[in-house]
Amino acid sequence: MSDGGGRIDRDRRRFEEIVRGQIKRDLKRYVTGSEMIGRRGRQLVSIPVPHIELPRLRFGRNGRGQGQGEGQAQGPADGSAGDTEAVGAAGSEPGQHLLEVELRLEEMAAILGEELELPNIQPRGRARLSVTSRRYTSISRQGPRSLRHMRRTLKETLKRQIGSQTYDPDDPRLLPDADDLRFRSFREVQTPDHAAMILYMMDVSGSMGREQKEIVRLVSFWIDTWLRSQYKSLETRYMVHDAAAKQVDQDTFYRLRESGGTKISSAYELAAEMLAQQFPPSDWNVYLFHFSDGDNWSGRDTEKCLSLLRERLLPGVNLFCYGQVKSAYGSGQFMKDLDAAVADCRNVISCEILDREGILPAIKTFLGKGL
Amino acid sequence: MSRPGDDLRSMQAAVEELARAAGLDFPEVVYELVDHQQLNEIAAYGGFPARYPHWRFGMEYDRLIKGHTYGLQRIYELVVNTRPVVAYLLSQNSMTEQKLVMAHVCGHADFFAHNAWFSHTEPGMIDTAASHGARIRALCDQHGLEVVESFIDRVQSVDNLLDVGAMGRACGRPGNAPPLDRGASERDVLGHVLRRGRLADWQHEVLSMLRDEAYYFLPQMLTKIMNEGWASFWHSRLMTGSLLRDAEVVDYADQHSGAMGGDGTLNPYKLGLELYRSLYEAQGGGRAGMARLFEVRAVHNDLTFVDNFLDEDFCRRQRLGRDAAECAAAREGLLAQLTNGGQPVIRVVGDGGDELELEHCWSGSELQIEAAEDTLRNLCALWGGTVRLRTRLEGRALLLSCTGGEFSREYGELLGPPAPPDAD
Repeated sequence: MSDGGGRIDRDRRRFEEIVRGQIKRDLKRYVTGSEMIGRRGRQLVSIPVPHIELPRLRFGRNGRGQGQGEGQAQGPADGSAGDTEAVGAAGSEPGQHLLEVELRLEEMAAILGEELELPNIQPRGRARLSVTSRRYTSISRQGPRSLRHMRRTLKETLKRQIGSQTYDPDDPRLLPDADDLRFRSFREVQTPDHAAMILYMMDVSGSMGREQKEIVRLVSFWIDTWLRSQYKSLETRYMVHDAAAKQVDQDTFYRLRESGGTKISSAYELAAEMLAQQFPPSDWNVYLFHFSDGDNWSGRDTEKCLSLLRERLLPGVNLFCYGQVKSAYGSGQFMKDLDAAVADCRNVISCEILDREGILPAIKTFLGKGL
Repeated sequence: MSRPGDDLRSMQAAVEELARAAGLDFPEVVYELVDHQQLNEIAAYGGFPARYPHWRFGMEYDRLIKGHTYGLQRIYELVVNTRPVVAYLLSQNSMTEQKLVMAHVCGHADFFAHNAWFSHTEPGMIDTAASHGARIRALCDQHGLEVVESFIDRVQSVDNLLDVGAMGRACGRPGNAPPLDRGASERDVLGHVLRRGRLADWQHEVLSMLRDEAYYFLPQMLTKIMNEGWASFWHSRLMTGSLLRDAEVVDYADQHSGAMGGDGTLNPYKLGLELYRSLYEAQGGGRAGMARLFEVRAVHNDLTFVDNFLDEDFCRRQRLGRDAAECAAAREGLLAQLTNGGQPVIRVVGDGGDELELEHCWSGSELQIEAAEDTLRNLCALWGGTVRLRTRLEGRALLLSCTGGEFSREYGELLGPPAPPDAD
């Protein structure tokens, strides 16, 4: 509906503003499920779907567990009015609130891309890798129950019953037996792919606190998810630095707390070495992300950083992103210097992340160019 | 959005002819073809695309769209209880699905036209909802969106306090909400507020419109099992009777079982369908069985339907329970969910002068008390004086009072043992 479409978008926007606490703060306490990442399993992420439950006289539990009692049934105008058929969702009665949604990472990346209107990435470099993927396009006689293909199975039954003249069109009962069962099955497909690598660098000097690291963790998680949806084979490397830089594993990256001064050039120097030795930009799509509170040791070191960037890093990489996380101690000077120095480079993006609310805008800023 | 083409129209004619021949009696049905986004939007507005603006519809839309995107649920169609009956079809549906949906819609349309609980609902509800929408939009322009919206928030916090029984007494007089010319009934809390609350003129107008809509939707909530069951009974009967072509059987079976599926949770489609079927069988099928079904669909609501026809034998066959005790528990649980539409029974025991006094009729389950307090605050803001609610908490009588945002709890004597933690 051309006119109605605007209406629902307005109502939805208003809802989202309430969820984010931008308007009507008195309703904020009725919001559930507005976190960005719920639980994380091996392949699954659950994204809570935000919901606002207006207070009502309803049945519910009282006591120690504060106000979490879900009533027995939904309120009248609250349920799905009209007549809504939710078919296919096993037992998910329409009108019920989906509190959490579990989905695979690649699906989530697609949704993320859609919601943030991220452009697809145009890979560079030769397609030198070939990856094997499984496509569920064929049918087999064996398989797990969860992959059972009901239509094909019943078709087999039908064929057999017609063949053996046990099919009665007036009483079209189909009784599949073991031989009729058919299952979805995969074929392995080789597809050429582009190689890509991400290098995350984080300032772990004393001024980066727990909250700052948590923000970096969230931003990197989403970036990772998005880039993985764009490249089948993705190498990820982590580096931390204070006054000296070192490569670490993922776990250490998020947990390490060093203290000491900040020499950003140490990180850029190590990055340049890594690229030269392991990931030559002629073969790799390279993404560099650097997070810091922007409080570099000295102006001289900043000079050095900028020249490293211009001469050794920027010419080869797809994207260099600098995320400046606000901390109580940081002066934030580095971002100003960086912006001034590389204003002409189109593959540099910098962004300031004030708090958690700034995470999504930051991701959009970083990845919004499709580089 | 578009009107169906020739192929769908001739399909509609064929399906409806067969349905009428089988005894269904329904008003004209108008189909509209929509894509899933449009369908989700219309569903979010409860079937009325021109409804008043409110973030709650945006929330509902958000949930439906996400559910769709994540592949958790899919709406096939949506039927709106108006005259003519309007039904939205998903344009991506296959022809087999459209046929199934049309057969299903015939059942709903017949149910809307004949079930007693729908006898009074406004036939021109599409227009009514649209004019409510236009009026509230105008009031937003006049008084400010924030102000009007916050008022609507408050109303929605109490719009489940309706008189469920009023509909049975409407006796076919049109009008969604019970008229207030001779006062409001004791369970019609919204009606009391509308009559005696200290409301500005525009607030009075908004509350009146929202009360009307709440009462419009009430019968659908009270007959979910019966209505879905009836539609499913008929789509199944018509499709497997003569509508299905041989090539469509497997697809149909897949779709039908998808709708009837569900593990553990109550599926109103399945439960209703099975209840009708067992009732039909109990009469020995045939003409007598059919006559009984048509009678039942005209007079019952979910509560009386389940109460009368869900017996131990049915429970065992449907595997709702393995022995007498389990069956009884399943039955009791279901009845509790259906009583008063699953809402606590609240009645007005006094509205003298400044005070509105409510009583929660104890049925064994406690109110969620923090939510109750917040609700009372909202009600108090609408009422304009003092609002009290008598209920029970942890076995003691409890009187909640709210005056101008000030709140007090007064515990009374011990009335019985506290409700067991899993009483609800």
